[in-house]
Amino acid sequence: MDTVSPVKSLTRRISTTVAGVAGAVVLAGCAQNAPQDTWKPKGDNAQMIYSLDKLVFPIAGIVGVLVSALAGYIFVKFRDKGQAIPAQSHGKPIVEIVLTIVPALILTVVGVFTFRTIMDLAETQDTEMIINVTGQQWWWEYDYPAQADQGITQPIITSGQLVIPEDTNVLLRETSRDVIHSFWIPALNGKKDAVPGRIHLLRMQADQPGIYAGQCTEFCGLSHANMRMEAIALSKEDFAKWVANQQKAYTPPAEGTLAKEGETTFINQCSRCHQVNGIKDANGKAIISAPDENVYSGAAPNLTTLMTRNTFAGAMFDLVNQKCRADVWDAKSEEFGAKYLAGVSEDCLNEKNLRAWLRNAPAMKPMYADPAKLEKTNGLYRGMPNLGLTEDDIDKLVAYLLTLK
Amino acid sequence: MAIIERPGTGTTPVVVTPQQTLGAVKRPVATKGWREWLFTVDHKKIGIMYGVVAMVFFIIGGVEALLIRLQLAMPDGQILSADKYNQMFTMHATTMVFLFAMPMAGAFANYFLPLQIGARDVAFPRINALSLWLLIIGGLVLNASWFLGGAADGGWFMYAPNSGPIFSPSHGVDFWVIGLQIAGVASLLGSINLIVTVLNMRAPGMSLMKMPVFTWMILVVQFLLVFSLPVITVALVLLMLQRSYGATFFDVSQGADPLLWQHLFWIFGHPEVYVLILPAFGIISEVLPTFARKPLFGYPFVVFSGASIGLVGFGVWAHHMFASGLGPVSVAVFSVATMAIAIPTGVKIFNWLLTMWGGKIWYTTAMNFAIGLVVLFTIGGLSGVTHSVAPSDTQQTDTYYIVAHFHYVLFGGMVFGLFSGFYYWWPKVFGKMLNEKLGAWNFWFMVIGMNMTFGPMHILGLQGQPRRMYVWTEARAGEGFFNLGFWNLIASIGSFILAVGILFFLINVVITARSKQQAPLDPWDARTLEWLTTSPPKAHNFDRIPVVHHLDEFFHRKYEEDTATHTMKKVAEGEDLVRAEADAADAHIHLPSPSYWPILLSIGVGLLGLGVVYGIPMMVIGFAITLFSAYGWVLEPSVAEEIDFEPSDNDGNTKEIAPLG
Repeated sequence: MDTVSPVKSLTRRISTTVAGVAGAVVLAGCAQNAPQDTWKPKGDNAQMIYSLDKLVFPIAGIVGVLVSALAGYIFVKFRDKGQAIPAQSHGKPIVEIVLTIVPALILTVVGVFTFRTIMDLAETQDTEMIINVTGQQWWWEYDYPAQADQGITQPIITSGQLVIPEDTNVLLRETSRDVIHSFWIPALNGKKDAVPGRIHLLRMQADQPGIYAGQCTEFCGLSHANMRMEAIALSKEDFAKWVANQQKAYTPPAEGTLAKEGETTFINQCSRCHQVNGIKDANGKAIISAPDENVYSGAAPNLTTLMTRNTFAGAMFDLVNQKCRADVWDAKSEEFGAKYLAGVSEDCLNEKNLRAWLRNAPAMKPMYADPAKLEKTNGLYRGMPNLGLTEDDIDKLVAYLLTLK
Repeated sequence: MAIIERPGTGTTPVVVTPQQTLGAVKRPVATKGWREWLFTVDHKKIGIMYGVVAMVFFIIGGVEALLIRLQLAMPDGQILSADKYNQMFTMHATTMVFLFAMPMAGAFANYFLPLQIGARDVAFPRINALSLWLLIIGGLVLNASWFLGGAADGGWFMYAPNSGPIFSPSHGVDFWVIGLQIAGVASLLGSINLIVTVLNMRAPGMSLMKMPVFTWMILVVQFLLVFSLPVITVALVLLMLQRSYGATFFDVSQGADPLLWQHLFWIFGHPEVYVLILPAFGIISEVLPTFARKPLFGYPFVVFSGASIGLVGFGVWAHHMFASGLGPVSVAVFSVATMAIAIPTGVKIFNWLLTMWGGKIWYTTAMNFAIGLVVLFTIGGLSGVTHSVAPSDTQQTDTYYIVAHFHYVLFGGMVFGLFSGFYYWWPKVFGKMLNEKLGAWNFWFMVIGMNMTFGPMHILGLQGQPRRMYVWTEARAGEGFFNLGFWNLIASIGSFILAVGILFFLINVVITARSKQQAPLDPWDARTLEWLTTSPPKAHNFDRIPVVHHLDEFFHRKYEEDTATHTMKKVAEGEDLVRAEADAADAHIHLPSPSYWPILLSIGVGLLGLGVVYGIPMMVIGFAITLFSAYGWVLEPSVAEEIDFEPSDNDGNTKEIAPLG
């Protein structure tokens, strides 16, 4: 056993060095500008959590270092150097008591701050705006009830991007239409599950205009990985513009254009599930979609202002190409609103993904959309099926969709 | 009771011989070949079989983990489809928790608990065999789903309503529900068995506070199981009724609240965490004193902290649900309760460190793994404290930060503890020492691999990568050299280094099995009763039931204190002590006979369960076999015939046990 010691001390020296280097790497080793970084709060609520982290992580770190140092000391100091078998002492109660009380005191301090933050984060009295957020496989719907003081005179229904005014206490009322999902924009707040049959409240507030990434974080089935979200904060003026645009009346495409043909294709192929507010059929009758007859969750994204959003299909694909995307994501706070409100122009459109989606959606994102395997849901899809559109149809639809802004 | 000793005087009890059948079937008599294993009720053979089964499932679960890491090594991985990936992580967790960790702890408990308390078997040997076979059947049912239309895909937590028939239309979840119910019955029977064993069958003089800590921790675990398994069983039955028979317990449109499942699952699921870790704590509480040459520091504190972890462990389940909308008061209460559980856990860490303080530390592979547990578990425990802070947890839960945390706790903690146990007790079980040089390779590859795999996951999680995603995207990976892609790749490489470490262990097992070299009787200068017998122990464990005077009885029979220096002086070798026991062997030791019924009954239960998927006829067959087995079991002659009670021969050293009836 004595022969082991030199080897041990060498390995120990190496492992200490490795540990030191590893520690340095870890500190320097975080990704820059990771969009879902939990330690880059951009709003009050996330800031409250981060303040707690700034208390707890150093305590945990210091305790960890102290315990490791003690352990390292013991491993070296009391290794077998040929000493006699020590006295068989069974411990000292006073040491035990001290080692119980000290952690208890530390945790009491942490507990007090934790308690306060829990209560602060549950506060709803200061709400200035309400948005209903509904999860379903595998996208989020955002429904803005009419609230005059925010300039919302008629309800707005959108999806993909949650648009909020900056520096405003928004209260999300979350629920789900099928399984449990979880709404999480790390820069703005922690996550809260959207549970069918229940309404859960989540505060949101963004300090400045910008785009904040998130992801569904409760496992919600096949395409859980493909259920993302983005929160968009706009200055109050820009938000008013956004609201006005969302509420404006529908303008059908001009007669004789490709887009007009696309509108007909849309009515025939898409409007059973996807609502476009104000769209009328050839007889001038308003078309009301009925997703509940086709989709298990009973909902499909409202496409009225599709091209005001930068993403589609559960925020999984960009509607804008790489260059235009970078332009928006990297925009400075003061320029962000204008760039975002510009929406998707023909030059910016990410035509490749949009066309692929229209061609065969389930191939782009796994969904339960095989008509042969729907016996459990009585023929209802979970997700968008392959519509079998011709390339001609797709050309027309793309032209039409580009008008929806 | 297990040990039927022939009454010395007085009236002879009515004895039923193995040849009598009472209308059922005779008891098996084979003591050789495969029958010896299939029908055995010997706790040691059952323990070894638990170990083999658990190791097979460890490898299966490990391969599943490697596939997961391969898929995630690069963005938009193509190795697995979304569907297969979801099955893979569901089965990885299910396999590791229910089919590796619990049975492997069961292996140690079965083998060593009777030996540590100076007993000759467990209280109910046939029920012990039943537990093993039910577990194997449960594991087979669970894994058969891979070949019968796809495995369960709802995550090991199987949250409703995603686990319902609409959202998980394959039969995977059905197999999962049935397999876990069967494995649950196995654990429940096992826990009752071990509780009765500990409470009733300790050697004379072994008060509860002289019991080895391993036995103590196993006892606490069995109580956790007795109280938590019924809850998950109820949940599983409800889910089975919902999936297969149209019940609506978790159907929101019928007024259900899906949070019901979460509460039921975690009331089981959190104590389960301690079910997994406490046996490892017990193992290293034997290993650290042995190799530090000092008794465990603060034995009563370690015991009571273990018990209080068990108790408080029932009051913290909702910390798995901080994001599920409990309301601030519940969240605050569970948050504080969770912090409280860090205190007894911290007590344990300090006691282990202070056990080594002032010791004479001998670094063997077993000791290295035990030290590995102390250090790695501390890291996992501290990250655990960071998510006891509920608001922080709402940022962390369902991200890789959690994955990092519980793998430090369960891999760095539990698995390292189990490996420490392998190296420590291998010579006891097989009479041969595992190779220490290969052990060093085994250890260091596992340490490096484990830290490379799970260390970066702290960063991944805190920088926002959620769990349970079959692909990750560069769009959310950030910039710079050390972006999330880099750390995903490092984690994947680490997982293969880890796998190589485990491969070293398997190679070590093979080499050791083929080696002719016998282990010394007391290779580690050990402290507890299991070493007061031959290696491997005889079928009846102890020639004479030891009388216990000390905690660490075996050590105190070998050593005496030098009153002048207070150091310890060896006064006897282990070999001498074992020989002394053999010389004074008990006469008329009788052991329970093997039985057909445990394995047959298990097969019946398995078929009964599969009937849920495959229809009434199979259920009827399964039920018939179960009923027949129960009938045979009850009527089975329980005592062997008179001729088995051979008197001991007089040379003392070669006393044979009576042939097993």
